[in-house]
Amino acid sequence: MRTFEYHAPTSLNEAISLLQEHGEAARPLAGGTDLVVQMKEKATKFAAPSHIVSLLRVPELSGVSFSESEGLRIGAGATMSQVADSPIIRERYRAIAEGAALVGSIQTMNMATVGGNLCNAAPSADIAPPLLAFEAEAVIVGPSGRRKLALEEFFLGPGKTALAADELLAEVRVPLPPPGMGSAYDRHTPRKQMDIAVVGVAAALTMAGERIERARVALGAVAPTPVRAPQAEAALEGQAPSDELFARAADVSAAECSPIADLRGSAEFRRHIVRVMTKRMLREALDRARSG
Amino acid sequence: MAQETEVREEEMQREYRNVGKPVTRIEGAGKVTGETIYADDMQLPRMLHAKVLGSPYAHARIKSIDGSAARQHPGVEAVFTPADLPEYKKNFSNRRGVIFPDEEVLFYGQPVAAVLASDPHVAEEALALIKVEYEALPPVVDPITAMEESSPLVRSPLGDVDRSEERGHVTVGVEQEEAEGKPSNIASQMNFKRGDVEAGFEQADVVVEHTWRSAVVHQSYIEPHSTVADYDASGELSVWTSTQAPFYIRDELSQTLGLPENKIRVTATEVGGGFGGKIYLQELMVAALAMAVRRPVKYIMSRKEDMLAATPAPQAVIDLKTSMTRDGKLTALKSRVVYDSGAFPGAPMLPGCLLVGGYYKCENLDIQGYEVLTNKVSVGALRAPGAHNVTFAIESHMDMMARELGLDPIEVRLKNAVEEGDPLPSGQPYPRIGLKQCLEAIAESEVWGRRNRERGTGNRGVGLAVGGWLGGLQPASAIVCLNSDGTINVTVGSADITGTNTSFAQITAEVLNVPLEMVNVTTGDTRTAPYAGMSAGSKTTYTVGRAVKLAAEDARQQMLEIAAKRFEAAPKELEMADGVVRLNGSDEKTLTFQRLGRLSTNFAAPFPAVVGRGAITTRKMAPGFTAQAAEVEVDTDTGEVTVLGFAVAQDAGFAINPLSVEGQMQGGASQGLGIALSEEMMYDSEGRLLNGNLLDYRMPTTRDLPPIEAIIVEVPSEEGPYGARIVGEPSIVAGAAAVGNAIADAIGVHLTDAPFTPERVLRALGKL
Repeated sequence: MRTFEYHAPTSLNEAISLLQEHGEAARPLAGGTDLVVQMKEKATKFAAPSHIVSLLRVPELSGVSFSESEGLRIGAGATMSQVADSPIIRERYRAIAEGAALVGSIQTMNMATVGGNLCNAAPSADIAPPLLAFEAEAVIVGPSGRRKLALEEFFLGPGKTALAADELLAEVRVPLPPPGMGSAYDRHTPRKQMDIAVVGVAAALTMAGERIERARVALGAVAPTPVRAPQAEAALEGQAPSDELFARAADVSAAECSPIADLRGSAEFRRHIVRVMTKRMLREALDRARSG
Repeated sequence: MAQETEVREEEMQREYRNVGKPVTRIEGAGKVTGETIYADDMQLPRMLHAKVLGSPYAHARIKSIDGSAARQHPGVEAVFTPADLPEYKKNFSNRRGVIFPDEEVLFYGQPVAAVLASDPHVAEEALALIKVEYEALPPVVDPITAMEESSPLVRSPLGDVDRSEERGHVTVGVEQEEAEGKPSNIASQMNFKRGDVEAGFEQADVVVEHTWRSAVVHQSYIEPHSTVADYDASGELSVWTSTQAPFYIRDELSQTLGLPENKIRVTATEVGGGFGGKIYLQELMVAALAMAVRRPVKYIMSRKEDMLAATPAPQAVIDLKTSMTRDGKLTALKSRVVYDSGAFPGAPMLPGCLLVGGYYKCENLDIQGYEVLTNKVSVGALRAPGAHNVTFAIESHMDMMARELGLDPIEVRLKNAVEEGDPLPSGQPYPRIGLKQCLEAIAESEVWGRRNRERGTGNRGVGLAVGGWLGGLQPASAIVCLNSDGTINVTVGSADITGTNTSFAQITAEVLNVPLEMVNVTTGDTRTAPYAGMSAGSKTTYTVGRAVKLAAEDARQQMLEIAAKRFEAAPKELEMADGVVRLNGSDEKTLTFQRLGRLSTNFAAPFPAVVGRGAITTRKMAPGFTAQAAEVEVDTDTGEVTVLGFAVAQDAGFAINPLSVEGQMQGGASQGLGIALSEEMMYDSEGRLLNGNLLDYRMPTTRDLPPIEAIIVEVPSEEGPYGARIVGEPSIVAGAAAVGNAIADAIGVHLTDAPFTPERVLRALGKL
């Protein structure tokens, strides 16, 4: 019978050494909402990890913290529920809380972690577009210490990240949002919950008076990885917000993404939804920026 | 007959103490606390687990199967390829008549071999070691293409087709023609004709013609197919299985395995959802393997296996042309009804053809039905099988014609609705039915009341549709026994899938005039229970309920006779209430049920045990109709449809347990909304199922469903207990049509393909 060894390290160092020791044969386990399902689906193929390294007891990975000087730190082990319910995230990083609150069911949200959602590297990961819109950084720990990477560079393709086999995503750092910033995330799914994004759109607008000083638009499920929409952002920055401007930016973001067709939607449909949702998220972000 | 009707009307006016009262389901507590024992909870000594290898091709020839490596795998007890199976009577024209194909694989996921091991994971692992060499054959996936003369054949020609399972769901005296002549993919066809449709179209002021498509949908019960079987030293086969049809399985196993029926014990374990899909499927394989290895065998389908290889409900393509005069009279209806049966016959073409022309009076009909084979999984029943597909077509047409003529959709339907005596397309007249009463009731619903208020506000709309189901008919029987402490045991042979045993307790308690708590109802196995038909076709309360009532009346009579002898009085001088029999209302001459129980069970007791017997046959249908209204909001930018409100009016005849009836109405409506909004099994061009999981096969969640208003209409049936008629199925029938009509009310366009996904809505709006 197919078996695997289960490790439960109690420190980050110990976890890293286990990964170092077992290399490709090991897989880290956080909430298990992706990994366990994948292991079950592959159960007949004999191609499964022979070592599971549980991250549950690694204290360095847990929790959410915030300071006015350093901004937000989300431990890779923070659950979607913790993020969705965090008062500071809800207040200052609204889109991130909205992304976390959409992942699966309540039960899924209580198990799934931010690190897991990012490391699984699904193009549809709901936590990714909001983090991209906030220009988050991934803090990676390996045998030779820590390194930081812009989250945009963390994703390499569907299921692929910049992590080496012996590295772990330890936390995500999100800079302090400037005053006058508003953000929003939503996704399109055929049903209202328990679903996977067909399109996800995050927008963050920083207003300077009546002008958009900084615009960030990030898209999920319409490219091999979650992506920013730099041309749409450029179209927005320096302009006075208006329905026409948002419509123009939405057209640009629809044009610059590269969706595939699959059973969840045609490429044409996904582009259309990107256009609709970019407009909506920009409007929402603007309202929030204005209402402080 | 007239006399019986009078009696019934008198009965209807009586004040009941048990029937007609809302009662929580007796077996409900066990289900919500997890105490209920399901087939998968069965553990027998020396039991083996079966795992099954499915075909990776939708159509292929098996050139060779080599199970030797799997046999060598540590922990594996046995491997069964087609060549290793014990003798059984094969019937390759029926899905249930084949364990594994000898040669030709007909659908993706079709079982071709099995492994047995003490550990299910070991069995599963060993499947990968079975070497199968296939020669791929061209798959035929689309039913319309399959009908073309140039289409490759789905399979080698069929032999005789056994349609006994379908008749359990709908029992009407019509035979369909099996296809003859040149081999084609059309398994059977039928035609109903009345009047002259062309003349009917000529007389009309509006003619509407469209093609309506609906998807393959899955019953998606919580509990997948689950079976345990054992064959003992005395030559008796025991099968514990999640089924709606224990006696049917017994009969089929007897014929296929060559065992007498009295040596087969089928126990219908508590069913974790069936909806027509749990009749008879894997039981033959599990029984045959258990007999071959002489050990108990358990087989529990995974969710994926269940979606690949159980029996979902068919897709259909309905061409419909209808016409109406300016004053709203339906003048002609012409339809081609095509059901995709998958790889084996068994599609509900007959009910589809009956219902497409069965809701309205129409002098000119021409309905042509086709049951077409494709290389997809074979279909089964899903709650009023086939009805929602055709209802989507005809009910969309009724709205389109009404709209074009500027007529009210309820008025148009009332004007044409069938009533007692009107003929079905087959010519058979309807018995007493309540279609009009349902329409009148839905007109009073809150949801319909919002129709005119919502018009023109945003993209909201309200629509309605009717639906119906004719129901199955089968003999039934029941036994009611008095225990020595005065309590009552009822034994039936019907699987309780909808709370029927609770209703039987109510009926028994009503007849004996006792509190419900004094009655306990058991579903026995096929050796101990009196015969009942399958719990399908909505007929369980209608048929078994009548047998229970008779059995309770028989027990009552026996008890009164004992009391009469004790009091030296005539039975008619006695009355029975609250577990006591009294002579002429006196408190002096009384006998408690407990006393009666002792007098008929104790050592040297003077009276025989009280055993009431009820057995019936019913040949009269009690069709159930419904009218349903939906209120929707359409996001015209994203194409999302949100159902804001839904109402179901349904004729239950007499609601023995109104709580249960409402639950059936709401549950069926929820499934109807799934068919309308999101449920669809998707296949690629090679016939492979793309979404064999409950993430991408989208059933509505609680957040997708609105509150569902349930309005019970009661037009008594002629033979059902207390006037009850069929209840379980009609509620699923009208959802797609009602939502489609509400969408059209909101955005002015009818969608012709269900489910109404955002992408389809956007295409209908011309936005993609």
